[in-house]
Amino acid sequence: MIKIKLKCFSQVKYALETDELIFELEDGTTSYEFEKIVRQRSGDKLEGVTLRIAVNQEYVKDDTELYDGDEVVLIPPVQGG
Amino acid sequence: MIITPKELQNWIENNHYFKAVDIRGEEQRYDLPIMGLDHMIAHENNLPNTSDKLVLICQFGIVTEGIIIENDLKETFSLLGGVEAWNAFHAQQKDMSRWSRQTILREVGIEGQTKLMNSKVVIIGMGGLGCPVAQSLITCGIKNLKIIDGDAVELSNLHRQPLYGFDDVGRMKVHAAKDTLQALSDSALIDAVQFNLDENNGLRLLADANVVLDATDNISTRKLIDKLCKRLNIPMVYGALYRYEGQVAILNVNGKGGYSELFPGKIPSVDNCSEAGILGMLPGIIGNIQALETVKLLLDIKPNLIGKLLLYDGMSHTTQTIKL
Repeated sequence: MIKIKLKCFSQVKYALETDELIFELEDGTTSYEFEKIVRQRSGDKLEGVTLRIAVNQEYVKDDTELYDGDEVVLIPPVQGG
Repeated sequence: MIITPKELQNWIENNHYFKAVDIRGEEQRYDLPIMGLDHMIAHENNLPNTSDKLVLICQFGIVTEGIIIENDLKETFSLLGGVEAWNAFHAQQKDMSRWSRQTILREVGIEGQTKLMNSKVVIIGMGGLGCPVAQSLITCGIKNLKIIDGDAVELSNLHRQPLYGFDDVGRMKVHAAKDTLQALSDSALIDAVQFNLDENNGLRLLADANVVLDATDNISTRKLIDKLCKRLNIPMVYGALYRYEGQVAILNVNGKGGYSELFPGKIPSVDNCSEAGILGMLPGIIGNIQALETVKLLLDIKPNLIGKLLLYDGMSHTTQTIKL
């Protein structure tokens, strides 16, 4: 098992009602799989919300394997000005 | 009391009696001599005993201000901005003493200030973000500023858009903003464009900018700015808000890392400030970070947010900086 820390901002924060969450996941879980897990955890609150994935403060363009201790941010676009 | 280089020049031209005194040590006097001003040299504890007015001069105008206050000296003036500001005025006939507190910074200096004053900046959107961005850039010395917005001031804008007052409700935002900004800097050249940026006018409006500030409230305009900045090879300082949070990034520097790379593809509708709600301080914080990053970009001050996305949460005051 691996432990992944999710830092929550914007719609993700309001959907999960927390700033930060620790997930215990199977070894070999990828960033795309993790995004799906987070979306499921939110019920339908993240339905239709675009999310970009950053692992350890760096954007990941393609599906990438997560490792124990990784910190993930799912970043939605925001538009207010 | 304070005297600016321009006021001191007026004294000289009008034959006022005064004595200018350089209180700096030998090393500073050698490194940066005072240009074009008759002066004497004295230690701060041994100032000349004279009935004439004294103008005390140090490197940046900070030490002399302190001496005058601490010793309660009468008829004694501190030269604002010190030798740095005087020499710049003497060379260019531009009084930059107003910015003496920022030209002290090694990364800014007179050279950086001159660069800011010669830069051309465009702000798109004069709402919650555009107001603090414009205010900070004008007060820090940006002279050539184009502000673009096709909206009029509404009552519900006032809690977060401090360039506008009660009497401005109903006026075009760019006209009301220009009045306020011009009062902050009468020499600024503010071009108020009272319609929205679109596909037809975009290239013309942005063509001569050194940097473009994205202070819009919708993703479609943001994508258009991104496209235009890519085409014109102009950096774009992006800012956006959501409730108690904001995002800032410097995009499209040397053609790399634009908004379309940050959020590729079609983006479904996202709540804006009127739908999601916003506290008035948030745009002030995020807009000032945009202005700060603009100055750092123009002066090549590092580290900065080039190719990075800053996420700021005003509730917990946590930040994340994501490398794009």
